[in-house]
Amino acid sequence: MIGFLAFSLSRAWQGFWRNVAMSLAATATMTLMLLLLAGFFIVQNGLLAALTFVEQKVEVEADLRPTALDADVDALELRIEALPEVLEVDYVSKEEALRRFREARAAQGEEDLTRYLDSNPLHASLQVKLRDPADFGTVMDALRADPAVERVKNITDLVGRVVTVTDFLRTAGLAILAVIGAIVLFIIINTIRLAVVGRAEEIEVMRLVGASDAFIRWPFVFEGALVGLLGATLTLATIAAVADPLGAFMYDFFRVLPIRVGAIARDVSLLVLGAGLGLGVVGAWISVRTYLIR
Amino acid sequence: MTLEAVTDRPADALPVARLGEPGSWGATERRDLLVLNDVTKRYPNGREALRDVDLVVPEGDFVFLVGPSGAGKSTLMKLIIRDELATSGEVILDGENLARLPRRKVPHVRRKIGTVFQDFKLLPTKTVRENVAFALEVTGTPRGRIGPAVERALRHVGLTGQAAQFPRQLSGGEQQRTAIARALVHDPRLVIADEPTGNLDPLISWEIIQLLLRINELGVTVLMATHDADVVTALRKRVVALEEGRIIRDEIGGGYHRRG
Repeated sequence: MIGFLAFSLSRAWQGFWRNVAMSLAATATMTLMLLLLAGFFIVQNGLLAALTFVEQKVEVEADLRPTALDADVDALELRIEALPEVLEVDYVSKEEALRRFREARAAQGEEDLTRYLDSNPLHASLQVKLRDPADFGTVMDALRADPAVERVKNITDLVGRVVTVTDFLRTAGLAILAVIGAIVLFIIINTIRLAVVGRAEEIEVMRLVGASDAFIRWPFVFEGALVGLLGATLTLATIAAVADPLGAFMYDFFRVLPIRVGAIARDVSLLVLGAGLGLGVVGAWISVRTYLIR
Repeated sequence: MTLEAVTDRPADALPVARLGEPGSWGATERRDLLVLNDVTKRYPNGREALRDVDLVVPEGDFVFLVGPSGAGKSTLMKLIIRDELATSGEVILDGENLARLPRRKVPHVRRKIGTVFQDFKLLPTKTVRENVAFALEVTGTPRGRIGPAVERALRHVGLTGQAAQFPRQLSGGEQQRTAIARALVHDPRLVIADEPTGNLDPLISWEIIQLLLRINELGVTVLMATHDADVVTALRKRVVALEEGRIIRDEIGGGYHRRG
């Protein structure tokens, strides 16, 4: 068994270097394909993060009656917070509401109109963040039914639009990732098949002199694994090298949330290593099967 | 020349030599090494390559297989090494019915057979020694046994001096001798040679034939497909003639062509 393993590994190593042009071409293809896969995985993750961020902006806002007692408001807040659809509830006092209004005006460079007022016309309110924006109906109903609530802002249209867009983008992102995955799979398997076909002569001799299937198959499988690991390493090195400068550039240029590779580094590494190793092994396994004993 | 190397070889150098010693088997009770019973081979495209073939080859025989291209010679050889399976009938090699042989045992049967081809099938990136050793390495032979076995096989075909050369540095005859050394390194019971002299000029062809005859004298059964009428006619060995997938002639001491 040890002898067999040593034989297979050393033959895989020899095979890689004896046909170095073919091996490097396969490794380069593997690297490019893994970069493509990892790149889209990162973009997909950024997209998902952005969508979640957008969805969390959807809040149910209930203005409270000025006459409502603090105790009633506290009780309502607790009751709403206990709903399974609710992520968190914020109480915004009249004063806080006025301060936010002034800030927003100032940020837009508009005049502060509130100084013409002698009293604060704004209502205190409860702002409810949802786990899933689609559940806004239940929460709105619960708020409307309470006597402490004056009115609930109607967000039906807004939620409808946001959910349509985010659902579409999620599905599209997954579909594109799946298509790219399939393309990567076929290209890598074909590349490895070419490398195996290039050695058909050697395989034929092995068969003729009575090599068992295992002796024919495993050196190629190990060679495929070698190509996969090498490609994965190159891919990860490339990503590590460009991640920070690219993230900074994206932030400077688009003023958007930079895609933070760091946060999903573990997932990307696992994906690239797994895909590289898996595709190398599977590609070699399938390619060499044609040559085994019928 | 090569053949001196063969004759100079000590009698116990190759295990196969024991088969040739008197007493290991007598002429009266020679085992049948290869038996084909009513074998038909039809390929998936419908072409019938062999039809109702009966053939018995006792251990130690030297058999020429003759016939025009497409007569079924190559198919017959593929059946013997179980690269193909017969559509009907049975192929029995050394007592084993190849159709019933489990897949994992196929390599063991192939190790009893040495194969030699017209195009040598040597690996260009390996030296003569490595080409011969390859046959043992890929069958899991322990490292310590490979070296001596390779040297013995090379001595057998007279290529000890060229062991470190690559196939492209050799003449055609030397390349074919390398292939024969590779076929012998497993101590096979049967050597099948498919047009082994097809790419060689007449003088070199004779060298190769002489080498195969020597190997046969050591007790190894030889089955040689050939188009070389001169060789077949001159040697007066057993001749099996195939035509359109049928055996049309099987006679000892026959010529390449039907007499009369």
